[in-house]
Amino acid sequence: MKIEIRNLTKRFDGVTAVNNLSLTLEGGKITGIVGPNGSGKTTLVNLLSGFLPIDGGTVILDDAIAVKKIRPHKIKSYGITRTFQDIRLFEQMSVMDNILVVLTERNLWCALFECHNPGHLQKAEEVLRMIDLWDKRDEPASSLSYGQRKLLEIGRAVSMEARVYLFDEPFAGLFPGMAGIVESILKQLRNQGCAVVLIEHDMDLIRGLTDYVFVLDSGVLLAEGRPHEVLRDRKVVEAYIGN
Amino acid sequence: MDILTQLVINGIIAGAIYTLIALGFNLIYGATKFFNIAHGVFAAIGGYTVFFFFKLSGAALVPSILAGVLLAGIAGMLSDKLVFLPLRRKRGSSVIMLVASLGLFTALQAVIAIMFSNRFQTLTDIFNIQKTYQIFSGVITRIHIVIIITVVSLTIGLFLMLNRTKFGKAVKAISDDDEVARIIGIDTDRVIGYVFFIGSAIAGLGGILIGFDTGIMPTMGMGLLLKGVIASIVGGVGNIYGSVCGGLLLGFVENFGVWKISGEWKDAIAFGLLIIFLLFRPQGVLGK
Repeated sequence: MKIEIRNLTKRFDGVTAVNNLSLTLEGGKITGIVGPNGSGKTTLVNLLSGFLPIDGGTVILDDAIAVKKIRPHKIKSYGITRTFQDIRLFEQMSVMDNILVVLTERNLWCALFECHNPGHLQKAEEVLRMIDLWDKRDEPASSLSYGQRKLLEIGRAVSMEARVYLFDEPFAGLFPGMAGIVESILKQLRNQGCAVVLIEHDMDLIRGLTDYVFVLDSGVLLAEGRPHEVLRDRKVVEAYIGN
Repeated sequence: MDILTQLVINGIIAGAIYTLIALGFNLIYGATKFFNIAHGVFAAIGGYTVFFFFKLSGAALVPSILAGVLLAGIAGMLSDKLVFLPLRRKRGSSVIMLVASLGLFTALQAVIAIMFSNRFQTLTDIFNIQKTYQIFSGVITRIHIVIIITVVSLTIGLFLMLNRTKFGKAVKAISDDDEVARIIGIDTDRVIGYVFFIGSAIAGLGGILIGFDTGIMPTMGMGLLLKGVIASIVGGVGNIYGSVCGGLLLGFVENFGVWKISGEWKDAIAFGLLIIFLLFRPQGVLGK
Protein backbone atom coordinates (compact mmCIF):
# COMPACT_ATOMS: atom_id res chain seq x y z
CA MET A 1 0.00 0.00 0.00
CA LYS A 2 1.23 3.46 -0.84
CA ILE A 3 -0.30 6.87 -0.23
CA GLU A 4 1.02 9.71 -2.28
CA ILE A 5 0.09 13.17 -1.10
CA ARG A 6 0.40 15.88 -3.72
CA ASN A 7 0.21 19.59 -2.94
CA LEU A 8 -2.15 19.07 0.00
CA THR A 9 -3.46 22.33 1.43
CA LYS A 10 -5.71 23.22 4.36
CA ARG A 11 -6.60 26.72 5.54
CA PHE A 12 -8.41 27.88 8.68
CA ASP A 13 -9.64 31.48 8.53
CA GLY A 14 -6.57 32.81 6.78
CA VAL A 15 -4.11 30.52 8.58
CA THR A 16 -2.61 27.86 6.34
CA ALA A 17 -2.25 24.77 8.52
CA VAL A 18 -0.99 22.52 5.74
CA ASN A 19 0.68 24.32 2.88
CA ASN A 20 1.17 22.64 -0.49
CA LEU A 21 2.50 19.50 1.19
CA SER A 22 3.75 16.58 -0.89
CA LEU A 23 4.99 13.33 0.59
CA THR A 24 4.68 9.57 0.16
CA LEU A 25 3.75 7.01 2.82
CA GLU A 26 4.91 3.52 1.90
CA GLY A 27 3.86 0.04 2.99
CA GLY A 28 6.24 -2.04 5.09
CA LYS A 29 7.60 1.04 6.82
CA ILE A 30 6.96 2.96 10.01
CA THR A 31 6.99 6.59 8.96
CA GLY A 32 7.42 9.20 11.64
CA ILE A 33 5.82 12.60 11.31
CA VAL A 34 7.36 15.07 13.69
CA GLY A 35 7.33 18.79 14.20
CA PRO A 36 6.68 21.39 16.87
CA ASN A 37 3.15 22.07 18.13
CA GLY A 38 1.02 23.65 15.41
CA SER A 39 3.19 22.29 12.62
CA GLY A 40 0.22 20.57 10.95
CA LYS A 41 0.81 16.91 11.95
CA THR A 42 -2.66 16.23 13.34
CA THR A 43 -4.25 18.35 10.61
CA LEU A 44 -2.56 16.07 8.08
CA VAL A 45 -4.04 12.98 9.78
CA ASN A 46 -7.44 14.69 9.94
CA LEU A 47 -7.26 15.40 6.20
CA LEU A 48 -6.24 11.83 5.35
CA SER A 49 -9.05 10.40 7.46
CA GLY A 50 -11.72 12.75 6.10
CA PHE A 51 -12.22 14.57 9.40
CA LEU A 52 -11.42 17.83 7.64
CA PRO A 53 -12.26 18.69 4.05
CA ILE A 54 -9.27 19.13 1.76
CA ASP A 55 -8.91 22.68 0.38
CA GLY A 56 -6.41 21.80 -2.32
CA GLY A 57 -4.30 18.94 -3.61
CA THR A 58 -4.78 15.24 -4.23
CA VAL A 59 -4.28 12.00 -2.35
CA ILE A 60 -3.30 9.09 -4.60
CA LEU A 61 -3.89 5.58 -3.25
CA ASP A 62 -1.74 2.75 -4.63
CA ASP A 63 -0.80 4.74 -7.74
CA ALA A 64 -4.35 4.17 -8.91
CA ILE A 65 -7.11 6.09 -7.14
CA ALA A 66 -6.80 9.88 -7.02
CA VAL A 67 -8.98 11.38 -4.30
CA LYS A 68 -9.70 15.08 -3.82
CA LYS A 69 -12.50 14.63 -1.30
CA ILE A 70 -12.24 12.01 1.46
CA ARG A 71 -15.44 11.03 3.26
CA PRO A 72 -14.82 9.56 6.74
CA HIS A 73 -17.03 6.49 6.22
CA LYS A 74 -15.13 5.70 3.01
CA ILE A 75 -11.67 5.48 4.57
CA LYS A 76 -12.32 1.93 5.72
CA SER A 77 -12.85 0.92 2.09
CA TYR A 78 -9.59 2.72 1.18
CA GLY A 79 -7.84 0.58 3.80
CA ILE A 80 -7.05 3.53 6.09
CA THR A 81 -7.66 3.79 9.81
CA ARG A 82 -6.50 6.08 12.61
CA THR A 83 -6.30 6.70 16.33
CA PHE A 84 -6.65 10.01 18.16
CA GLN A 85 -4.43 12.16 20.33
CA ASP A 86 -7.36 12.44 22.76
CA ILE A 87 -8.71 8.91 23.10
CA ARG A 88 -12.11 8.39 21.49
CA LEU A 89 -13.89 5.16 22.40
CA PHE A 90 -17.51 4.05 22.29
CA GLU A 91 -18.05 4.67 25.99
CA GLN A 92 -21.54 3.11 26.27
CA MET A 93 -20.22 -0.19 24.98
CA SER A 94 -18.26 -2.98 26.60
CA VAL A 95 -14.58 -3.46 25.80
CA MET A 96 -15.53 -6.46 23.64
CA ASP A 97 -18.21 -4.53 21.74
CA ASN A 98 -15.71 -1.74 20.97
CA ILE A 99 -13.87 -4.34 18.91
CA LEU A 100 -16.92 -6.21 17.59
CA VAL A 101 -18.55 -3.04 16.24
CA VAL A 102 -15.61 -2.68 13.85
CA LEU A 103 -16.23 -6.16 12.49
CA THR A 104 -19.89 -5.38 11.71
CA GLU A 105 -21.31 -6.18 8.29
CA ARG A 106 -22.81 -3.06 6.74
CA ASN A 107 -25.66 -4.79 4.91
CA LEU A 108 -28.83 -3.52 6.61
CA TRP A 109 -30.76 -6.78 6.82
CA CYS A 110 -27.73 -8.73 8.01
CA ALA A 111 -27.07 -5.98 10.53
CA LEU A 112 -30.64 -6.00 11.80
CA PHE A 113 -30.98 -9.70 12.34
CA GLU A 114 -27.51 -11.22 12.42
CA CYS A 115 -25.45 -11.69 15.53
CA HIS A 116 -21.67 -11.92 15.39
CA ASN A 117 -20.27 -15.09 13.84
CA PRO A 118 -17.55 -17.22 15.49
CA GLY A 119 -14.92 -15.68 13.21
CA HIS A 120 -15.67 -12.21 14.57
CA LEU A 121 -15.60 -13.43 18.16
CA GLN A 122 -12.29 -15.22 17.57
CA LYS A 123 -10.79 -12.11 15.97
CA ALA A 124 -11.98 -9.94 18.88
CA GLU A 125 -10.45 -12.39 21.39
CA GLU A 126 -7.17 -12.37 19.48
CA VAL A 127 -7.00 -8.56 19.52
CA LEU A 128 -8.04 -8.24 23.17
CA ARG A 129 -5.41 -10.78 24.24
CA MET A 130 -2.81 -8.89 22.21
CA ILE A 131 -3.57 -5.66 24.08
CA ASP A 132 -3.96 -7.50 27.37
CA LEU A 133 -7.62 -6.56 27.87
CA TRP A 134 -9.25 -9.99 27.48
CA ASP A 135 -10.02 -10.15 31.19
CA LYS A 136 -11.79 -6.78 30.95
CA ARG A 137 -13.88 -7.74 27.91
CA ASP A 138 -17.27 -7.40 29.62
CA GLU A 139 -16.51 -4.15 31.42
CA PRO A 140 -17.73 -0.85 30.01
CA ALA A 141 -15.04 1.01 28.07
CA SER A 142 -15.61 4.03 30.32
CA SER A 143 -14.33 2.08 33.34
CA LEU A 144 -10.83 1.50 31.91
CA SER A 145 -7.71 3.36 33.00
CA TYR A 146 -6.11 5.92 30.67
CA GLY A 147 -3.50 3.46 29.39
CA GLN A 148 -6.04 0.68 28.90
CA ARG A 149 -8.27 3.08 26.98
CA LYS A 150 -5.35 4.00 24.75
CA LEU A 151 -4.63 0.30 24.13
CA LEU A 152 -8.30 -0.39 23.35
CA GLU A 153 -8.33 2.41 20.78
CA ILE A 154 -5.23 0.93 19.16
CA GLY A 155 -6.81 -2.54 19.32
CA ARG A 156 -9.92 -1.18 17.59
CA ALA A 157 -7.75 0.22 14.80
CA VAL A 158 -5.84 -3.07 14.46
CA SER A 159 -9.04 -5.12 14.22
CA MET A 160 -10.01 -3.11 11.14
CA GLU A 161 -7.25 -4.95 9.25
CA ALA A 162 -6.39 -1.78 7.37
CA ARG A 163 -3.36 -1.25 5.14
CA VAL A 164 -2.57 2.27 6.35
CA TYR A 165 -2.50 3.08 10.08
CA LEU A 166 -2.35 6.67 11.27
CA PHE A 167 -1.32 6.69 14.93
CA ASP A 168 -1.53 10.09 16.63
CA GLU A 169 0.75 9.99 19.69
CA PRO A 170 -0.04 6.38 20.66
CA PHE A 171 2.67 6.27 23.37
CA ALA A 172 1.61 9.42 25.23
CA GLY A 173 0.93 8.73 28.91
CA LEU A 174 1.61 4.97 28.74
CA PHE A 175 3.53 2.95 31.34
CA PRO A 176 6.58 1.13 29.93
CA GLY A 177 4.78 -2.24 29.81
CA MET A 178 1.92 -0.79 27.80
CA ALA A 179 4.30 1.15 25.55
CA GLY A 180 6.03 -2.18 24.84
CA ILE A 181 2.72 -3.66 23.65
CA VAL A 182 2.16 -0.68 21.32
CA GLU A 183 5.72 -0.92 20.00
CA SER A 184 5.32 -4.60 19.17
CA ILE A 185 1.94 -3.91 17.45
CA LEU A 186 3.53 -1.23 15.27
CA LYS A 187 6.40 -3.54 14.30
CA GLN A 188 3.98 -6.37 13.58
CA LEU A 189 1.94 -4.13 11.26
CA ARG A 190 5.12 -3.06 9.48
CA ASN A 191 6.14 -6.69 9.01
CA GLN A 192 2.72 -7.38 7.50
CA GLY A 193 3.47 -4.76 4.84
CA CYS A 194 1.19 -2.03 6.21
CA ALA A 195 2.05 1.64 5.99
CA VAL A 196 2.34 2.78 9.60
CA VAL A 197 2.36 6.51 10.31
CA LEU A 198 3.50 7.60 13.74
CA ILE A 199 3.02 11.11 15.06
CA GLU A 200 5.28 11.39 18.09
CA HIS A 201 7.13 13.96 20.18
CA ASP A 202 9.50 11.50 21.86
CA MET A 203 12.58 11.60 19.63
CA ASP A 204 14.09 8.46 21.17
CA LEU A 205 11.03 6.54 20.01
CA ILE A 206 11.28 8.11 16.56
CA ARG A 207 14.97 7.14 16.32
CA GLY A 208 14.38 3.61 17.54
CA LEU A 209 11.18 2.75 15.78
CA THR A 210 10.77 4.61 12.50
CA ASP A 211 12.26 3.81 9.10
CA TYR A 212 11.70 7.24 7.61
CA VAL A 213 10.80 10.64 9.02
CA PHE A 214 9.04 13.72 7.70
CA VAL A 215 9.52 16.93 9.67
CA LEU A 216 6.79 19.54 9.36
CA ASP A 217 6.96 23.14 10.42
CA SER A 218 4.10 25.63 9.97
CA GLY A 219 2.39 23.25 7.56
CA VAL A 220 5.33 22.84 5.19
CA LEU A 221 7.80 20.00 4.79
CA LEU A 222 11.01 21.05 6.50
CA ALA A 223 13.05 17.88 6.08
CA GLU A 224 12.77 14.19 5.32
CA GLY A 225 14.97 11.12 5.43
CA ARG A 226 16.29 8.47 7.80
CA PRO A 227 15.62 9.40 11.43
CA HIS A 228 19.25 9.57 12.60
CA GLU A 229 20.20 11.95 9.79
CA VAL A 230 17.07 14.10 9.83
CA LEU A 231 17.00 14.65 13.57
CA ARG A 232 20.55 16.02 13.43
CA ASP A 233 19.62 18.46 10.68
CA ARG A 234 20.27 22.06 11.82
CA LYS A 235 16.91 23.29 10.40
CA VAL A 236 15.07 20.61 12.36
CA VAL A 237 16.87 21.39 15.61
CA GLU A 238 16.13 25.11 15.14
CA ALA A 239 12.45 24.44 14.42
CA TYR A 240 12.18 22.52 17.69
CA ILE A 241 14.25 24.64 20.05
CA GLY A 242 14.30 27.97 18.18
CA ASN A 243 17.23 29.97 16.96
CA MET B 1 -63.43 0.07 43.39
CA ASP B 2 -60.44 0.95 45.53
CA ILE B 3 -59.14 4.42 44.59
CA LEU B 4 -55.51 3.57 45.37
CA THR B 5 -55.52 0.51 43.07
CA GLN B 6 -57.20 2.55 40.37
CA LEU B 7 -54.57 5.30 40.68
CA VAL B 8 -51.83 2.70 40.25
CA ILE B 9 -53.57 1.32 37.15
CA ASN B 10 -54.10 4.83 35.75
CA GLY B 11 -50.45 5.65 36.45
CA ILE B 12 -49.31 2.57 34.50
CA ILE B 13 -51.66 3.40 31.60
CA ALA B 14 -50.50 7.04 31.41
CA GLY B 15 -46.88 5.91 31.82
CA ALA B 16 -47.27 3.44 28.95
CA ILE B 17 -48.68 6.16 26.67
CA TYR B 18 -45.86 8.59 27.52
CA THR B 19 -43.31 5.80 27.08
CA LEU B 20 -44.72 5.10 23.62
CA ILE B 21 -43.79 8.62 22.51
CA ALA B 22 -40.57 8.84 24.54
CA LEU B 23 -39.13 5.59 23.09
CA GLY B 24 -38.91 6.91 19.52
CA PHE B 25 -37.96 10.39 20.69
CA ASN B 26 -35.05 9.07 22.75
CA LEU B 27 -33.90 6.71 20.01
CA ILE B 28 -33.66 9.64 17.58
CA TYR B 29 -32.14 11.97 20.17
CA GLY B 30 -29.48 9.37 21.00
CA ALA B 31 -28.34 9.23 17.39
CA THR B 32 -28.71 12.89 16.45
CA LYS B 33 -28.39 14.87 19.71
CA PHE B 34 -31.20 17.30 18.99
CA PHE B 35 -34.77 17.68 20.26
CA ASN B 36 -36.89 16.58 17.31
CA ILE B 37 -40.12 18.55 17.86
CA ALA B 38 -41.48 17.10 14.60
CA HIS B 39 -41.63 13.71 16.36
CA GLY B 40 -45.10 14.56 17.69
CA VAL B 41 -46.61 15.05 14.26
CA PHE B 42 -45.69 11.49 13.23
CA ALA B 43 -48.08 10.25 15.90
CA ALA B 44 -50.82 12.30 14.21
CA ILE B 45 -49.79 10.94 10.78
CA GLY B 46 -50.18 7.38 12.10
CA GLY B 47 -53.59 8.15 13.61
CA TYR B 48 -54.92 9.94 10.52
CA THR B 49 -53.66 7.23 8.14
CA VAL B 50 -55.74 4.65 10.02
CA PHE B 51 -58.64 7.13 10.11
CA PHE B 52 -58.41 7.49 6.30
CA PHE B 53 -58.01 3.82 5.40
CA PHE B 54 -60.04 2.15 8.14
CA LYS B 55 -62.86 4.60 8.81
CA LEU B 56 -63.23 6.57 5.58
CA SER B 57 -62.21 3.96 2.98
CA GLY B 58 -63.44 0.85 4.77
CA ALA B 59 -60.15 -1.05 4.56
CA ALA B 60 -59.41 -3.89 6.99
CA LEU B 61 -57.98 -3.00 10.40
CA VAL B 62 -54.61 -4.73 10.29
CA PRO B 63 -53.55 -3.39 6.83
CA SER B 64 -54.72 0.08 7.94
CA ILE B 65 -52.59 -0.07 11.09
CA LEU B 66 -49.62 -1.36 9.10
CA ALA B 67 -50.10 1.51 6.61
CA GLY B 68 -50.24 4.00 9.49
CA VAL B 69 -47.04 2.70 11.07
CA LEU B 70 -45.28 2.49 7.71
CA LEU B 71 -46.35 5.97 6.57
CA ALA B 72 -45.29 7.55 9.86
CA GLY B 73 -41.92 5.79 9.53
CA ILE B 74 -41.46 6.89 5.93
CA ALA B 75 -42.47 10.46 6.81
CA GLY B 76 -39.87 10.44 9.61
CA MET B 77 -37.18 9.06 7.32
CA LEU B 78 -38.02 11.64 4.63
CA SER B 79 -37.89 14.43 7.21
CA ASP B 80 -34.31 13.34 7.91
CA LYS B 81 -33.31 13.04 4.26
CA LEU B 82 -34.89 16.36 3.22
CA VAL B 83 -34.40 18.57 6.26
CA PHE B 84 -32.12 17.25 8.99
CA LEU B 85 -29.44 15.52 6.90
CA PRO B 86 -28.72 18.65 4.81
CA LEU B 87 -28.52 20.63 8.08
CA ARG B 88 -26.16 18.07 9.62
CA ARG B 89 -23.96 18.27 6.53
CA LYS B 90 -23.82 22.05 6.95
CA ARG B 91 -22.87 21.42 10.59
CA GLY B 92 -26.09 23.06 11.80
CA SER B 93 -26.20 23.43 15.57
CA SER B 94 -28.75 21.54 17.68
CA VAL B 95 -30.67 24.84 18.10
CA ILE B 96 -30.99 25.20 14.32
CA MET B 97 -32.13 21.58 14.07
CA LEU B 98 -34.69 22.18 16.82
CA VAL B 99 -36.08 25.27 15.07
CA ALA B 100 -36.23 23.37 11.75
CA SER B 101 -38.09 20.52 13.45
CA LEU B 102 -40.57 23.01 14.90
CA GLY B 103 -41.14 24.41 11.42
CA LEU B 104 -41.61 20.91 10.03
CA PHE B 105 -44.03 20.06 12.83
CA THR B 106 -46.14 23.16 12.14
CA ALA B 107 -46.16 22.58 8.37
CA LEU B 108 -47.14 18.90 8.58
CA GLN B 109 -49.78 19.63 11.22
CA ALA B 110 -51.27 22.26 8.89
CA VAL B 111 -51.31 19.75 6.01
CA ILE B 112 -53.20 17.25 8.18
CA ALA B 113 -55.69 19.97 9.20
CA ILE B 114 -56.22 21.00 5.54
CA MET B 115 -56.81 17.38 4.51
CA PHE B 116 -59.02 16.27 7.40
CA SER B 117 -60.22 19.53 9.06
CA ASN B 118 -59.41 20.64 12.59
CA ARG B 119 -62.32 18.71 14.06
CA PHE B 120 -61.87 16.05 16.70
CA GLN B 121 -62.39 12.59 15.13
CA THR B 122 -62.88 9.16 16.61
CA LEU B 123 -61.61 5.91 15.18
CA THR B 124 -64.18 3.11 15.03
CA ASP B 125 -64.52 1.37 18.36
CA ILE B 126 -63.11 -1.89 17.06
CA PHE B 127 -61.48 -2.64 20.39
CA ASN B 128 -64.76 -2.14 22.19
CA ILE B 129 -62.92 0.20 24.54
CA GLN B 130 -65.87 0.42 26.89
CA LYS B 131 -65.31 -3.19 27.84
CA THR B 132 -63.50 -3.23 31.13
CA TYR B 133 -61.62 -5.86 33.05
CA GLN B 134 -61.29 -6.10 36.81
CA ILE B 135 -57.75 -6.07 38.23
CA PHE B 136 -57.81 -6.43 42.03
CA SER B 137 -60.20 -3.66 42.98
CA GLY B 138 -59.55 -1.47 39.92
CA VAL B 139 -60.66 -1.56 36.29
CA ILE B 140 -58.81 -1.35 32.98
CA THR B 141 -60.15 -1.12 29.42
CA ARG B 142 -59.23 -3.39 26.53
CA ILE B 143 -57.38 -0.68 24.56
CA HIS B 144 -55.30 0.17 27.63
CA ILE B 145 -54.25 -3.47 27.90
CA VAL B 146 -53.27 -3.36 24.21
CA ILE B 147 -51.25 -0.18 24.83
CA ILE B 148 -49.41 -1.70 27.82
CA ILE B 149 -48.63 -4.94 25.93
CA THR B 150 -47.41 -2.89 22.94
CA VAL B 151 -45.10 -0.78 25.10
CA VAL B 152 -43.65 -3.84 26.86
CA SER B 153 -43.11 -5.58 23.49
CA LEU B 154 -41.53 -2.49 21.91
CA THR B 155 -39.19 -1.96 24.86
CA ILE B 156 -38.03 -5.60 24.76
CA GLY B 157 -37.70 -5.38 20.96
CA LEU B 158 -35.62 -2.20 21.13
CA PHE B 159 -33.48 -3.67 23.92
CA LEU B 160 -32.73 -6.73 21.80
CA MET B 161 -32.12 -4.65 18.69
CA LEU B 162 -29.70 -2.28 20.43
CA ASN B 163 -27.79 -4.93 22.37
CA ARG B 164 -27.88 -8.06 20.27
CA THR B 165 -27.76 -6.93 16.65
CA LYS B 166 -25.00 -5.36 14.62
CA PHE B 167 -27.38 -2.58 13.61
CA GLY B 168 -27.95 -1.80 17.28
CA LYS B 169 -24.21 -1.61 17.90
CA ALA B 170 -23.89 0.80 14.97
CA VAL B 171 -26.66 2.97 16.49
CA LYS B 172 -24.89 2.96 19.87
CA ALA B 173 -21.58 3.77 18.21
CA ILE B 174 -23.16 6.77 16.46
CA SER B 175 -24.77 7.82 19.71
CA ASP B 176 -21.35 7.76 21.42
CA ASP B 177 -19.22 9.38 18.73
CA ASP B 178 -20.56 9.77 15.22
CA GLU B 179 -17.21 10.89 13.79
CA VAL B 180 -15.41 7.78 15.03
CA ALA B 181 -18.38 5.67 13.90
CA ARG B 182 -17.76 6.98 10.38
CA ILE B 183 -14.09 6.05 10.30
CA ILE B 184 -14.81 2.47 11.30
CA GLY B 185 -16.97 2.26 8.18
CA ILE B 186 -20.47 3.00 9.48
CA ASP B 187 -22.50 5.01 6.99
CA THR B 188 -23.92 7.20 9.74
CA ASP B 189 -26.29 9.09 7.43
CA ARG B 190 -27.94 5.84 6.35
CA VAL B 191 -28.14 4.42 9.86
CA ILE B 192 -29.62 7.68 11.20
CA GLY B 193 -32.18 7.52 8.36
CA TYR B 194 -33.24 4.05 9.57
CA VAL B 195 -33.31 5.32 13.17
CA PHE B 196 -35.71 8.07 12.07
CA PHE B 197 -37.84 5.41 10.35
CA ILE B 198 -37.99 3.19 13.44
CA GLY B 199 -38.52 6.08 15.91
CA SER B 200 -41.22 7.73 13.80
CA ALA B 201 -42.97 4.41 13.13
CA ILE B 202 -43.16 3.87 16.90
CA ALA B 203 -44.66 7.38 17.26
CA GLY B 204 -47.13 6.49 14.48
CA LEU B 205 -48.16 3.34 16.33
CA GLY B 206 -48.57 5.48 19.46
CA GLY B 207 -50.83 7.88 17.56
CA ILE B 208 -52.95 4.98 16.29
CA LEU B 209 -53.42 3.41 19.71
CA ILE B 210 -54.15 6.76 21.35
CA GLY B 211 -56.56 7.43 18.48
CA PHE B 212 -58.47 4.24 19.34
CA ASP B 213 -58.44 5.28 23.00
CA THR B 214 -59.33 8.97 23.00
CA GLY B 215 -59.66 10.03 19.35
CA ILE B 216 -57.51 12.15 17.06
CA MET B 217 -56.97 15.82 16.19
CA PRO B 218 -54.34 17.42 13.95
CA THR B 219 -52.94 19.17 17.04
CA MET B 220 -52.65 15.96 19.09
CA GLY B 221 -48.91 15.73 18.37
CA MET B 222 -47.77 18.66 20.51
CA GLY B 223 -49.47 17.46 23.71
CA LEU B 224 -48.08 13.96 23.23
CA LEU B 225 -44.63 15.29 22.36
CA LEU B 226 -44.44 17.48 25.47
CA LYS B 227 -45.29 14.56 27.75
CA GLY B 228 -42.88 12.33 25.82
CA VAL B 229 -40.11 14.93 26.19
CA ILE B 230 -40.78 15.28 29.94
CA ALA B 231 -40.65 11.48 30.27
CA SER B 232 -37.35 11.45 28.32
CA ILE B 233 -35.74 14.15 30.44
CA VAL B 234 -36.99 12.67 33.71
CA GLY B 235 -35.81 9.17 32.74
CA GLY B 236 -32.56 10.25 31.06
CA VAL B 237 -32.56 11.85 27.65
CA GLY B 238 -31.20 9.59 24.90
CA ASN B 239 -31.62 6.52 27.10
CA ILE B 240 -34.16 3.97 25.85
CA TYR B 241 -34.65 2.48 29.32
CA GLY B 242 -34.96 6.02 30.65
CA SER B 243 -38.06 6.37 28.45
CA VAL B 244 -39.80 3.60 30.37
CA CYS B 245 -38.59 4.84 33.73
CA GLY B 246 -39.49 8.49 32.97
CA GLY B 247 -42.83 7.58 31.39
CA LEU B 248 -43.91 5.52 34.39
CA LEU B 249 -42.66 8.08 36.91
CA LEU B 250 -44.49 10.86 35.09
CA GLY B 251 -47.66 8.76 34.84
CA PHE B 252 -47.61 7.95 38.56
CA VAL B 253 -46.74 11.49 39.71
CA GLU B 254 -49.50 12.97 37.52
CA ASN B 255 -52.15 10.53 38.69
CA PHE B 256 -51.24 10.51 42.37
CA GLY B 257 -50.77 14.30 42.22
CA VAL B 258 -54.43 14.84 41.32
CA TRP B 259 -55.72 12.35 43.89
CA LYS B 260 -57.06 15.03 46.18
CA ILE B 261 -57.22 17.97 43.75
CA SER B 262 -58.75 18.76 40.38
CA GLY B 263 -57.53 16.81 37.30
CA GLU B 264 -56.81 20.15 35.62
CA TRP B 265 -53.62 20.27 37.69
CA LYS B 266 -52.14 17.31 35.75
CA ASP B 267 -50.14 19.41 33.30
CA ALA B 268 -48.91 21.75 36.04
CA ILE B 269 -47.72 18.72 38.02
CA ALA B 270 -46.00 17.24 34.95
CA PHE B 271 -44.12 20.45 34.16
CA GLY B 272 -43.36 20.94 37.87
CA LEU B 273 -41.70 17.52 37.84
CA LEU B 274 -39.73 18.57 34.74
CA ILE B 275 -38.49 21.74 36.42
CA ILE B 276 -37.50 19.85 39.57
CA PHE B 277 -35.44 17.41 37.48
CA LEU B 278 -33.87 20.18 35.40
CA LEU B 279 -32.83 21.95 38.60
CA PHE B 280 -31.66 19.02 40.71
CA ARG B 281 -30.99 16.05 38.41
CA PRO B 282 -30.71 17.27 34.81
CA GLN B 283 -29.26 13.92 33.67
CA GLY B 284 -32.53 12.20 34.66
CA VAL B 285 -33.02 9.08 36.78
CA LEU B 286 -30.86 6.77 34.67
CA GLY B 287 -28.58 9.31 33.02
CA LYS B 288 -27.45 8.94 29.41
